Amino acid sequence: MRVRLTLLIASSFMALPAAGADPAPVRLNVKPLLCLLDKNATSCAVTFDIRWKSALAAEYCLNDEAQPLPLRCWPKALSGEHRQDRLVTQDFFFWMSPATGNERVAEAKIEVLRVGSTDRRRERRSRHVWDVL
Amino acid sequence: MKFPTFCYFAVLSAAMAAAPLAHAESDPSGSTSAQTTAEPATPVANAPHAIPAEKNWRFGVGLGYGQRTNPLIQSEDIPVVVDLDIAWFGERWFFDNFDLGFALVDNSRVTTNVVARLNSDRAFFGKTNTRYVNFTVTAGGGEVPMPPPSSPGAGFNPPVELKVPDRDYAVELGLEMLFDGEWGHATLRAFHDVSNTHDGYEISADYSYRWVRGRFTIAPSVGVAYKSAELSDYYWGVHADEVQPTLQGYQVDGGIGWEAGLRTSYYITKSMRVAVSANYERLTDNIALSPLVAEPYVIGYFAGLAWQF
Repeated sequence: MRVRLTLLIASSFMALPAAGADPAPVRLNVKPLLCLLDKNATSCAVTFDIRWKSALAAEYCLNDEAQPLPLRCWPKALSGEHRQDRLVTQDFFFWMSPATGNERVAEAKIEVLRVGSTDRRRERRSRHVWDVL
Repeated sequence: MKFPTFCYFAVLSAAMAAAPLAHAESDPSGSTSAQTTAEPATPVANAPHAIPAEKNWRFGVGLGYGQRTNPLIQSEDIPVVVDLDIAWFGERWFFDNFDLGFALVDNSRVTTNVVARLNSDRAFFGKTNTRYVNFTVTAGGGEVPMPPPSSPGAGFNPPVELKVPDRDYAVELGLEMLFDGEWGHATLRAFHDVSNTHDGYEISADYSYRWVRGRFTIAPSVGVAYKSAELSDYYWGVHADEVQPTLQGYQVDGGIGWEAGLRTSYYITKSMRVAVSANYERLTDNIALSPLVAEPYVIGYFAGLAWQF
């Protein structure tokens, strides 16, 4: 009886950190986060500088929304760096996941902004005195 | 070189009747074909996709500091602290910051619009002051203005008012042709007064080119404009009924002015950017010689944050 009670208390105590703490305090830092496309451009060619850090050493994988498989996985580690060449045509996410599973423990959104328009009227410049932008 | 109003409307009517809208805005087929030409040269790429349709409304605001100098005598520069950008674009009709337009032709080479606008020269006349000038009699018998007396009793005549004449806004109707390509953007415009305000016209051309590097865009521009004698004289001349002891009569002929500008943006996020712009406009020589004009140029600048919603 005493043994059972000890095991029950011990198992409960061990489960507490996993249940109460942040399950994966991973920080993902990606540069750049924004890609500008001129009117006739179809994509940005970008070399992404990707860095991650974790409070808990674990096996993490870097994922790209356009790829079914991870770009790269690290063995049990607290941090990692990766450079990724990519053509970007629309908004997408990089994210970190555990080596087993697709859970997103950290993510970074890469945004695409088209600064020109195929509608020439939207590109017209007025000659108003107050128009400065 | 007056451009008769009836001819003007005849040209517009003919253009509206003859020109189908060959290239609707946000042409999905054009966009898609452009997308499919992009082959991934790097390990990963998003699948090609159509460029999403643009919203009809465009609303933006710029907050910062800037001004546009006022070339008129005894006038104040025009401060620019808030710059609103409000526009709506339909299939043919559009409203662009108080310009009301209708697309007559839109194809791969050119977009031709008929546009109604307010003349912008009037804006300078909203920032003028009245000044009082003291006169004294010279030995030759003529009167010349002199500075205010520094001591009591030194003045000879009561001060005379020097007031910049009032001017009205003019509604102008015209055609504009917009061109673009790898070489940049160009615009040709011809506008005529339709409000019986100045009864003149303006023809202008401008060119700009935009570079995009990373988060940074820079767009220099140049332009020339011919303002007719009627337009120039209405706004910048001193008419017979406006002659004062302090303001001699002056008739302005038509002439060509020019401008150059630079607009830069650094995008912090998708909707927020740091915007810096500067513009120099040289008035026509005839306008620059007017007694109403203190400076033959207009300098504009602005630096601040701009949001696009």
